Amino acid sequence: MPRGRNVGYSLTAWWGVDLHAAAISSLANVTQTLRVLRRNRARLPLLLVLLALLALVLSGCTTDTPQNTFDTKGEVADAQAKSFLIAMWPAIVIMIGVLGGIVLIALRWRERDPNQPPPKQVHGNTRLEIAWTIAPAVLLLAIGVPMVAQIADLGREPADDAYIINVVGQRYSWLFEYPEEIDSEGKPIQTVNEAHIPVGREVSFQLRSVDVIHSFWVPKLGGKRDVFPCNLVTPEPEAPPTPHGERPPCDGGQMNILWLKADEPGSFSGQCAEYCGLEHARMTMTIHADAQADFDAWVKEKLAGSSGGGN
Amino acid sequence: MATVTVPKRSALAEALAGARHAADTGHGVLSWIATVDHKRIGMLYGISAFLLFLVGGLEALLIRTQLIVPESGVLTSDQYNRLFTMHGVTMVFMVVMPLSAAFFNLLVPLMIGARDVAFPRLNAFSYWSFLGGAIFLNASFFTRDIFSGELGAPDAGWFGYAPLSLPDFTPGHGMDFYALGLQIMGLSSLAGGLNFAVTILNMRAPGMTLFRMPVFVWMTLVTSFLIIFAMPVIAVALFELTFDRLFNANFFNTEAGGNPILWQHMFWLFGHPEVYILILPAFGIISEILPTFSRKPLFGYPFVVFSGIAIGFMSWGVWVHHMYTTGLGTIANSAFGISTILIGVPTGIKIFNWMGTMFGGVIRLRVPMMFAIGAVATFTIGGLSGITHSMVPSDYQQQDSYYVVAHFHYVLFGGAIFALFGGIFYWAPKFTARMFNETLGHVQFWLMMIGFNLTFFPMHISGLLGMPRRIYTYSDGMGWDLWNLMSSIGAFTIAASILVFIANYVYTFVMKRGREAGDDPWDARTLEWSLPSPVPHYNFAEIPQVHSLDDFWHRKYREDAEGNVLPVVAGGAVEVAHGGDGGGHEEAGHGIHLPSPSYFPLIAALGLPVMATGLIYDYAIVPVGAALLVVGLYGWALEPATEED
Repeated sequence: MPRGRNVGYSLTAWWGVDLHAAAISSLANVTQTLRVLRRNRARLPLLLVLLALLALVLSGCTTDTPQNTFDTKGEVADAQAKSFLIAMWPAIVIMIGVLGGIVLIALRWRERDPNQPPPKQVHGNTRLEIAWTIAPAVLLLAIGVPMVAQIADLGREPADDAYIINVVGQRYSWLFEYPEEIDSEGKPIQTVNEAHIPVGREVSFQLRSVDVIHSFWVPKLGGKRDVFPCNLVTPEPEAPPTPHGERPPCDGGQMNILWLKADEPGSFSGQCAEYCGLEHARMTMTIHADAQADFDAWVKEKLAGSSGGGN
Repeated sequence: MATVTVPKRSALAEALAGARHAADTGHGVLSWIATVDHKRIGMLYGISAFLLFLVGGLEALLIRTQLIVPESGVLTSDQYNRLFTMHGVTMVFMVVMPLSAAFFNLLVPLMIGARDVAFPRLNAFSYWSFLGGAIFLNASFFTRDIFSGELGAPDAGWFGYAPLSLPDFTPGHGMDFYALGLQIMGLSSLAGGLNFAVTILNMRAPGMTLFRMPVFVWMTLVTSFLIIFAMPVIAVALFELTFDRLFNANFFNTEAGGNPILWQHMFWLFGHPEVYILILPAFGIISEILPTFSRKPLFGYPFVVFSGIAIGFMSWGVWVHHMYTTGLGTIANSAFGISTILIGVPTGIKIFNWMGTMFGGVIRLRVPMMFAIGAVATFTIGGLSGITHSMVPSDYQQQDSYYVVAHFHYVLFGGAIFALFGGIFYWAPKFTARMFNETLGHVQFWLMMIGFNLTFFPMHISGLLGMPRRIYTYSDGMGWDLWNLMSSIGAFTIAASILVFIANYVYTFVMKRGREAGDDPWDARTLEWSLPSPVPHYNFAEIPQVHSLDDFWHRKYREDAEGNVLPVVAGGAVEVAHGGDGGGHEEAGHGIHLPSPSYFPLIAALGLPVMATGLIYDYAIVPVGAALLVVGLYGWALEPATEED
């Protein structure tokens, strides 16, 4: 199935640059707006405040901050940001309609004279009721269809050539094991709180915890997946890589698999998203996405380093 | 005999005097402690919940103070974790639920034309066990050396996810207090839910058919059934947690084959209906306030009622949206994603009907109306942001981020708390005969509205910028500083609005400067406004005969076929309002039977926290609590329901 990237528009451009430009141009038009509204001087400060807030909000979402869920660097995060926008734009339109409607109604029909008699008593309108039952249902189902497609898309098993990394969550650090990179002593490469992954290749993170529930989250690459306690059936330290599509068995608990794919090199920050205790806030990690050659070099160096260390 | 010649009216007056005497036995504190009067219990609920609202708010202010800048050291992580846990537990179980219960108690009997609830002493038991549970749970703060900054409160979050909530990971007694305290308050809610369901189904005045009930009563009925079915679920979960913690059972212990996700299913199977338990009473309040201040009937009454019922049913089929990231698979996530999206339909129907109610009205922008309109507006934002993360793939990013924190505060603060304040301003005159100061009320509303949006709107953005919930600090350079600063400033603005409310309360009731209210200050529509203010102990001198929806309005105004309003002949309304017209409904000779005050509900309720304390500290105390409970229940069962004449 063709994925978001190939559809022909760049998501960051849609969300970021275009809107940013729109905000700037709307600010540039302020003078004209002022002219139009000069008879309503009392409401100008309010308008200015609203415009300033809008600009602030837009600037917030376009900044290049380490865990911005819209500054996406992989196809999973792309699809998820798009899923958000599919719901967000209709939501914003409805919000403006409803809030504007409420304010307008309250102002238009407010009591002007304390002796005003009660208005005409309207009890309801069945056609309207049917309309505003069916219309939202249709709209919601319309956004529900792409949602289900995306769920299926993201929920598939990792590709056959996915690169496997075992992730062990423990209070309050992340242990990464590379079962495909075995050193001379038969042990896999291990890193703590930092992991390297190859760019452009699906990476299958096999998630388990040795204590409480954590959640593995690298926002620029994709959404989170919970990390449950799982006692591996095979004794530590190492379970052989299981065939794709099969989860390594747990003796109690469960193992979740999350696949992510980085589209460009870079270092992406992530952290535990499920409250896990005292230092939950400090349970952070960095995922370095390297071009394949750089990644291979890193693996080689690690392998040499770990056997050289004689540990 | 002389008595034979006495007119019927005097027999009624005699009966009233007797009833007043029975309800008045002993003024002062004792009469409140032993009260079974639904109005007094309602006020006790309201005052207790408001005090706990201040506690929960203080916890929120500490949280926001800690997060005001990155790497702040105002609180330790241990203190922070206990405070956010207690903030959630307090606001859900000890503020919004009991505030709603306060309104159920104050209003339901009056709105359906009854003299009390079906089980007045069970009602008192509900209140005392709620208060006992709340004090018990908050007492946990003091179980460590609080003066050196060691808090003893629960520390695994209000959601108490296992295995974090097991003693291996949260040693100490905090989570024991959580499990047992919530159990006690759950029992209290369960008793209340049963009481109000029976009251509404059985105690309605003649002519008060189900579809002549005010929407608030309908929403109370739906909420009561949600409580009846949801509370047992959390009770089972809490018992399992208690057994795991105290008796080394293994329901959630992975090492012994237990299953941590079992807790999540039970918690959210309770937890999502709970969300509607919190919001439906607020919907009911909004549906009463908007028509009164628009001077029009509620638009689409049957649709508002049925959408409330639909929400009640659908609330049972959406719990997995709290668990999208747990890896339940594509089928579960798709099914619950669709059901979650669709619950927006009945909610939308309510919002559109509220707009329809205001449309074309004569809208009086008094304080209750401002809060009701504010609640509709902010709830709309909360509902729509809910749609955005009901989109499962989108939720993979937003789950457990500040985006979700923003969402549910828009729903539960923006929706519920605003509506509840609207209800306080609306109905306080009925029970106190005084009006809150209007200016202070508007000041409070605007401060709260601005503070609320300043606090919670930026959380959408910090969440989308990847800030997880429940972190006690964050480092510089994450891009979250500005948004957290705004949230913290907003939180203190909300605090200022609450101070204005307290000032208004002091001005109105302590200094007694509030205007006299009269019986019907808002030209309202429902039966409670036909009674004198404050409402007499016996509520209705005569049980009213109900002829239509908004019966009281129709006693004041006639309506022609086109819906134009014609006032009833002058004087008629007043006479009918006090039920003194003697127009054929008089039930002379029927004395008013009001239940007598009783201490036994309090004694029985007291047994519960004593037993819980014993379970935590010394099993020897458990029989003491059990004895209190048994004595209370026996006394309760054996004492006569009404004083003998």
